[in-house]
Amino acid sequence: MTDEKGNRAGLLSRATLVSRQKVSRNTHILDFEIDGTTNTPGPGQFYHVDCGGGREHLLRRPLGVHGMTAPEKGAARVRLMVEVVGWGTQRLCALEPGAEVGLMGPLGRGFTPPDGGRALLVSGGIGLAPLFFLASEMDKEGSDYDFLAGFRTGDDYYPALSDLKGNIEVFTDDGTVGAKGVVSEGAVRHIGNGDYSAVFACGPEAMMEAVADACEGSGVSCQVSLTSRMACGLGFCRSCVKEGRDGRNLCVCTEGPVFDSRDVKWNGVRS
Amino acid sequence: MNREFAARKPNHLIRIHDSRPDPLSVDLAGIKLKNPILLASGTAGYGAELSSVMDLGTVGGIILKSVTEKSRKGNPSPRIWETPCGMLNSIGLENMGVDALIDEVLPSLDGSGVTVLASIAGDTVDEYGRLAARLDGAPGVSALEVNVSCPNVEKGGIHFGAEAEATRAVASIVRENCALSFFVKLSAAVSDVARIALAARSGGASGLSLINTIPGLAVDPSTRRPRLGAVTGGLSGPAIKPIALKAIWDCYSATGLPIIGCGGIYDVDDVCEFLVAGSTAVAIGTVTFQDPERALEIIEALPRALSALGVESPGELTGSLRVWREA
Repeated sequence: MTDEKGNRAGLLSRATLVSRQKVSRNTHILDFEIDGTTNTPGPGQFYHVDCGGGREHLLRRPLGVHGMTAPEKGAARVRLMVEVVGWGTQRLCALEPGAEVGLMGPLGRGFTPPDGGRALLVSGGIGLAPLFFLASEMDKEGSDYDFLAGFRTGDDYYPALSDLKGNIEVFTDDGTVGAKGVVSEGAVRHIGNGDYSAVFACGPEAMMEAVADACEGSGVSCQVSLTSRMACGLGFCRSCVKEGRDGRNLCVCTEGPVFDSRDVKWNGVRS
Repeated sequence: MNREFAARKPNHLIRIHDSRPDPLSVDLAGIKLKNPILLASGTAGYGAELSSVMDLGTVGGIILKSVTEKSRKGNPSPRIWETPCGMLNSIGLENMGVDALIDEVLPSLDGSGVTVLASIAGDTVDEYGRLAARLDGAPGVSALEVNVSCPNVEKGGIHFGAEAEATRAVASIVRENCALSFFVKLSAAVSDVARIALAARSGGASGLSLINTIPGLAVDPSTRRPRLGAVTGGLSGPAIKPIALKAIWDCYSATGLPIIGCGGIYDVDDVCEFLVAGSTAVAIGTVTFQDPERALEIIEALPRALSALGVESPGELTGSLRVWREA
């Protein structure tokens, strides 16, 4: 059942950090090598990462996949984009190459790629991570898309965006890079004017709600990737569930994190 | 058995016919467990979900997520918050209801080789009685855990487990409606847990399961909001381990009932402490979220840990705490 590194067949693995690169003020790109894996992630899927907190910090952190390479010589490389927000992500973003990290995954249901036509991708902040992966895969297929990426400020901007083949538009709150303004307003304009076959959004909930509203008004299908605090990552603890529009609970870790925006009950900001 | 004959048989058949007791096995109120390591209720779901990362047949047993008579949606999001050495949860008893448990879950566990304890929770004493009756004789259920630490309607939001008389009433109605062994799951957030334990025993409980989570609150000072959608939640993890050990020792000393010890177990050394304090078996809970295989690792490590303490079986440790005596 186990290989020489103690990896059990299946979802659990000990991965080795191959490289870590700081790409903006608060964000790092981490490349992990996973030996003997047969599972390769798709855009929108995530890994549940043991940040090494032992007794003090018990929970794994769910992190969206930013990229991957297919298994070669029995090892796959998985790229995670990590924003420092708390203890766990801080710890990950201080690791040196060679460090071993427990990964569980790939988990969850990812994006369903568009079936022809022109797509719109809308990201806010670290919501960029899975959509960049989706865009990279669409580049391989030669798909057409517009990618609107929002950041708080120019220091958060991710330069590798310019390597993508789609039409890229950047928004910052302070106008230091790209257009001044919030990405959701740009997205609503695009959805109103454009003729998109599908829309994909990941970012703060208010942003996704605005995009989902515009899509519903225009009759365009919209997939959103939800964020939620998780414990098990496998669907049994019921920690991550959010209420669906039909009143049913949506289990973010197994039924999502990507949902049809019409299945989500958008609450706006709770007051 | 003729040893020479046995020696010619394949290994797995020899094991089946071997009459030597398994050194890790324990007798928990008449239920034979292959080892004392159980998966705790609420942190192992209904079993099937965990089977993608572990072999359920290896653990001593699984205590399924609590069910109520009707399915429940649970509490609003967010439902968890990590705290130092632990976590708060406010799942709110989201569950599929007892009928779905019997129709879907129990058949799915058939053949997994795991000993199943079903957990029940009710709003009223009568609901506990009806749940016990439904599960009495349900195929694949070896015992019940009776969760009396959930909010209820009859008592105006106070846990049944907070009051001795209410606990006794629940235990009595379960006993009247069910021939299975049952373990009353107690909360340590009471002034005298031993008094509640004695009430459970007088109601006919076969044993006790403790502790449940400890009520707690986490705050976001920047928004003045609670971190949980339900405002408060239950604290679990290593942070509550000393509270669990004390409650187990109190209940073991007062009642002598078999105890499933639970609350903050992280590794095999913790398991030994729980046995010494009075547990016959233990339940692995929150650590499963960090390491879904931890229960298996603990089982693998247990023989060596026991021998390091100079004992051959878990039962030799149960209740072996040597308290100081005055000269």
